[in-house]
Amino acid sequence: MGKKVLIVDDDADIRTFASSVIENSGYTPEIAVNGEEAIEKIRKEKPDLIILDILMPKESGIKMYREVKTDPKLSDIPVIILSGIAQRTFTRSQKALAEFEGQTVPEPEAYLEKPVEPEELAATLKKFLS
Amino acid sequence: MSKLLLVDDEEGIRKVLSLSLQSDGYDVKTAESGQQALKLFQKEFFPIVMTDIKMPGLDGLEVLKLIKEMNPDTQVIVFTGHGDMESAIQSLQLGASDFITKPVGDQVLAVALKRAEERLETKRLLREYTNNLESMVKDATEEIKRRYEFENKLIQRSIDGIIATDKDGKSLIFNPAAEKIFGYTEDEVKSLNTVKDLYPEGIRQKVFDILSGEKEIAEDDVIVGKDTTVMGKNGKAIPVRFSGAILYEAETPIGSVGFFQDLREIKRLQKELIQSERLAAVGQTVAGLAHGIKNILNGLKGGVYIVNSALKKMSHEEREDANAAVQEFPDGKLKTGWDMVERNISRVSNLVLDLLSYSKEREPEYEKYDPNIIVDEVCDLMESKAKENDVTLIRSLDKEIGEVYLDPKGIHGSLLNLVSNAIDACIFDPDTEKKWQVKVEVHADREGGVIYDVVDNGCGMDQEVKDRIFTEFFSTKGNRGTGLGLLVSQKIIHEHKGTMDVKSEPGKGTRFSIRLPKQEFTEKK
Repeated sequence: MGKKVLIVDDDADIRTFASSVIENSGYTPEIAVNGEEAIEKIRKEKPDLIILDILMPKESGIKMYREVKTDPKLSDIPVIILSGIAQRTFTRSQKALAEFEGQTVPEPEAYLEKPVEPEELAATLKKFLS
Repeated sequence: MSKLLLVDDEEGIRKVLSLSLQSDGYDVKTAESGQQALKLFQKEFFPIVMTDIKMPGLDGLEVLKLIKEMNPDTQVIVFTGHGDMESAIQSLQLGASDFITKPVGDQVLAVALKRAEERLETKRLLREYTNNLESMVKDATEEIKRRYEFENKLIQRSIDGIIATDKDGKSLIFNPAAEKIFGYTEDEVKSLNTVKDLYPEGIRQKVFDILSGEKEIAEDDVIVGKDTTVMGKNGKAIPVRFSGAILYEAETPIGSVGFFQDLREIKRLQKELIQSERLAAVGQTVAGLAHGIKNILNGLKGGVYIVNSALKKMSHEEREDANAAVQEFPDGKLKTGWDMVERNISRVSNLVLDLLSYSKEREPEYEKYDPNIIVDEVCDLMESKAKENDVTLIRSLDKEIGEVYLDPKGIHGSLLNLVSNAIDACIFDPDTEKKWQVKVEVHADREGGVIYDVVDNGCGMDQEVKDRIFTEFFSTKGNRGTGLGLLVSQKIIHEHKGTMDVKSEPGKGTRFSIRLPKQEFTEKK
């Protein structure tokens, strides 16, 4: 059984696409459709990597990312953000939250802007999982 | 003291009369003959001359005639013998102011003199008045001339085109502004029999019907600020704001005048404004949709990827190339169709991403960066495309620049676009004998800014293409271009407060230059 990659995205097509890339790269995909579900799965399944969307219903990627990175048990899991939102927007919102909550979180391990080429996604997976 | 010349051949009369006249306050000179009188008169002027009619030599009538010829203003009083009515009438006919019958009585003399004085005074006043009148006329004429010149200057300098016609529609005024609007010269227009056709359609009929008397004078014979068009010399309709009026003299139409405000520039600006507003609206809409669009694009790409993966598996695992698998289907139709889908997904993706980055308002993200690195990165990326197409890619770095403040991502994108275009320009070059090359240069300018030059020796551009490359959705690359690449690049450079220039010659090649001004080192906000 290969390493587990959790895909968190509300868009079913993106989940199917990413699952396909993960499988073809020799890993095992897990899916979650929002932040709430994702946190549950992360705690239960302990994935080796998380692919995370930002704009999602229920709990957004911005909040979920902070939850993962501020939990010492989870913060070592690499996170690839895969979003239609530009990286600077994400960075800015994190900065604002850091000031508000008085806690800084590290930058994500990788940031891919949609639409992403399958090759690029595959290469990024490989970079953190091999 | 009034001067008086007394002419009489009788010495006694001369003595008595001159004493009497002197006591009345006259400065009297006497002459004993007509000849002597004329001689004196030639030397000096006498306003009043008194002369006897009957004298040897030149008689009084002759003297009267000659003096009147010399100075018509002189008052001549003649003495006639008692009952000599004929001489009296003759003298009056010759212009004598009075005649006195001898022997001369004081009272009669006084009356005659008084009348002569009065006449002199009247004449003097008349002369004065005439003189005044002349200078007044002169002044008035000059004033009119000045006004005419002033008005003429107003007409000549008017920003609005002015046409004035006489009753028959012949042009009286056609000012330079009108020349500019219509494209005709003043001489051309003045040689026309009628300028009817220069008036806006719909207005011209009414104006000329009134002028020719075919139509009754209407209430609405003044048109103010009507937006319409006129026909220029080149046959093109020119937008103008027209005001005009029929000119009357005592209720009779004598001509017309038209004022034409050139609306071409305003219309052009309006069009541009509408265009830019529309683009802004498109931009805002697109920006709002960006996130959704990006997901859809990713979905499309993902779909392609999954189909390709499935195809690979179908062809007994050992096939690496999905295309080869597709080709096994009858007629190759599946391959043709699938290629179309893939190609068009890639096209729509490029177009949408260009559109998104063009419509996005973004501030450059400045950081300290070595401008040389961008050249290396871009050339590394483009190396394979260049090689495939027999283009030599040359980099010219400037190690002296050091680090400057710029937005590496933005500049990277712009430079990549220019280099990609330059290679395309070589690919499109029909001259296959040429050794194609693209040179990417970077160097510092004197003010501490950075200049990137991308120079190719490809197909080059003519003026028409050059004029259009920075406009929306213009592409020379047919289906391959989105028509936005250069715009996006230019936008990024403008956001850096920089400029992008192009020099190009068809068949020789093109040079694109990016100039980035020096950015002060400031803390990031």
